[in-house]
Amino acid sequence: MGSRDVAGSEEPSGGRRKKLALACALAWVIPGAGHWYLGRRARAGVFFCLVIVSFVLGAVLHGRFSVRDRRAPLLSTLQVVACLGTGPIEVVSRSLLYGGPVYFMPEEDSMQAGDGGRPRTVVGQLLRSRNEARDSAYGTAYLWTAGLMNLLLILDVFDIGIGRKD
Amino acid sequence: MTSHFLNMLIFTIIVSTFFAFLTRNEPRARWRLGLILGGSMLFLSLALAWIMYPFPVR
Repeated sequence: MGSRDVAGSEEPSGGRRKKLALACALAWVIPGAGHWYLGRRARAGVFFCLVIVSFVLGAVLHGRFSVRDRRAPLLSTLQVVACLGTGPIEVVSRSLLYGGPVYFMPEEDSMQAGDGGRPRTVVGQLLRSRNEARDSAYGTAYLWTAGLMNLLLILDVFDIGIGRKD
Repeated sequence: MTSHFLNMLIFTIIVSTFFAFLTRNEPRARWRLGLILGGSMLFLSLALAWIMYPFPVR
């Protein structure tokens, strides 16, 4: 079927570009969906399971749903990107945890120097309590890995879409 | 679940399976790469842990 080879079809380039963009968007929205759309059904199922298992383990094991913090702008931004890579499931989980899709450390907590002070906002307190959990380091590794794997999957879908990869 | 080894094992399985499926198309090649990656990760982690054992945490 045509959906399998976005690159190989003889459609106009505009249509191919749209299909490619849709495949990449699907890959972000549901892990593995981009591969499914391009006809790689078995691979899509495996990728979906791996990313979701990693994400769920991360959320359950007190993984750090990072927010951008002015005290460490570069690292915290990269952490947010890693989290966001998982797609809408991350936004929903974050909203359930923090009461909204919070991606920036509230001003009151980002003004504090060092870690000595007690967090004043709900987001700061939740981040602190999750950080202090015994299994937080494991959870964070699972959580960020899920996002990074999904970002790699989006690039893989792009490569398949343009015909660079089978 | 605070067992470091169990977490390492699960993490290794997830990551090695992911890269095996991402970079190989043939089942045999996937198994081969998955086992090499998983084995390397486990072996290197344990070797590093063994080397670091004499050093105190603080």
